[in-house]
Amino acid sequence: MLISPVSDDLDKALVACARGDQMALRAIFECEAAHLVAVAQRIVRRRDLAEEVVQEAFIRIWTHAHQYQPDRGSARGWIYAIVRNRALNLLRDSGREHTVEEVEALQERDQADEVMAAWHRLDRNSRLRECLGALDEIRRRGILMAYVGGYSHGEIAGRLQIPLGTAKSWIRRGLASLRECMA
Amino acid sequence: MISDRKDIPAIADEYVLGLLDHGEAAQLEADMEEDKELMAAVAASRDRFLPLDMSIEPAAVNDSLWSRIEASLQPQVKPAQPSPPPGLNDNRAGWRLTAISAIAATVILAVGLAFSLMRTTEPVVVAVLVDEAGEVRAVIEDFGSQQAVIKMLADFDVPDDKTIQVWTLPSRDMGPVSLGLIDGIRSARLDRPSLPLPRNGQLYEITLEQAGGSPTGRPTGPILAKGLAKLPR
Repeated sequence: MLISPVSDDLDKALVACARGDQMALRAIFECEAAHLVAVAQRIVRRRDLAEEVVQEAFIRIWTHAHQYQPDRGSARGWIYAIVRNRALNLLRDSGREHTVEEVEALQERDQADEVMAAWHRLDRNSRLRECLGALDEIRRRGILMAYVGGYSHGEIAGRLQIPLGTAKSWIRRGLASLRECMA
Repeated sequence: MISDRKDIPAIADEYVLGLLDHGEAAQLEADMEEDKELMAAVAASRDRFLPLDMSIEPAAVNDSLWSRIEASLQPQVKPAQPSPPPGLNDNRAGWRLTAISAIAATVILAVGLAFSLMRTTEPVVVAVLVDEAGEVRAVIEDFGSQQAVIKMLADFDVPDDKTIQVWTLPSRDMGPVSLGLIDGIRSARLDRPSLPLPRNGQLYEITLEQAGGSPTGRPTGPILAKGLAKLPR
């Protein structure tokens, strides 16, 4: 990413969207769509579904821009959360195993690599990278599978071949360590 | 509702990671609107994990995606907000956050008056269900006994092999419970199962399920509209 508008610009764009300025939504699209499609695709796997997710998300950004307030976190975090929630809902509503079962087997290995790659791609000086690195390997993997790949507790337990309760408590403890490390 | 305040950061993280189930996530989103600490925890968690999304290899996106988005945009309709009384308004953010409830309150008045003036039994709670765009789609009156009533205030596109199912979330422990199916698209009386007395802020929603209702006993289809119950005054 070469040019990243400061978050302040996204704040202003959301305010302009709420006023009915379509150019502001277009500006958000120009800056963020390439990332957002990639984020959605990492979760739903298929490019066509990822575009569908981003399309619906932009309509929601447009209709809900008036709700954005700085106490809801950064404007970018708010926008990405809308895309992530859409992608997760699509996955859960249709059932991952059904939607993508034909590509599942082929892509499973790629997906596992992609999940870990997300951690390696973090900036070397990033606090998140360092704190994820301080976790046990399996806890780190569980957290990344959930956030990056959109896996549920059950799917993580299955893929890591551990009992569901163990997966839940490892992830919970991993998240607690992460919060402590990043505080 | 979150039973232990010290669990807030943990629950916020699980929500942001997408690890809560459908009912839990919906309840958290509803709670967040009235719980600043929870909202702050979710905001902090989102921003903590955001670098994992920012560092992704961007996809090549062409203009046809924008054209499809642009084609589906509706002009912004400003919700008619009552002006806050001068001098009493030192909480503008809070006021804006309640814009949706303000619309809801108006509808409760309009719809509520129309049928509550003509009968003797009062519902325990009334929930106004809005869709993603904030449009009012239905009103549920829950009488707390074995009966609830849903008034449909909009048309829904329901394919032949689908049905609308009504749900509520009496508590996080109990999870979502079906109040019944709506036969066709019309207002209906629901013979609800015996449940704890509905409370203020309880979540109600309608989803599109396969004919005969959700096979799992939990909502599986897309949410058509949802809303939080209010106690009639």
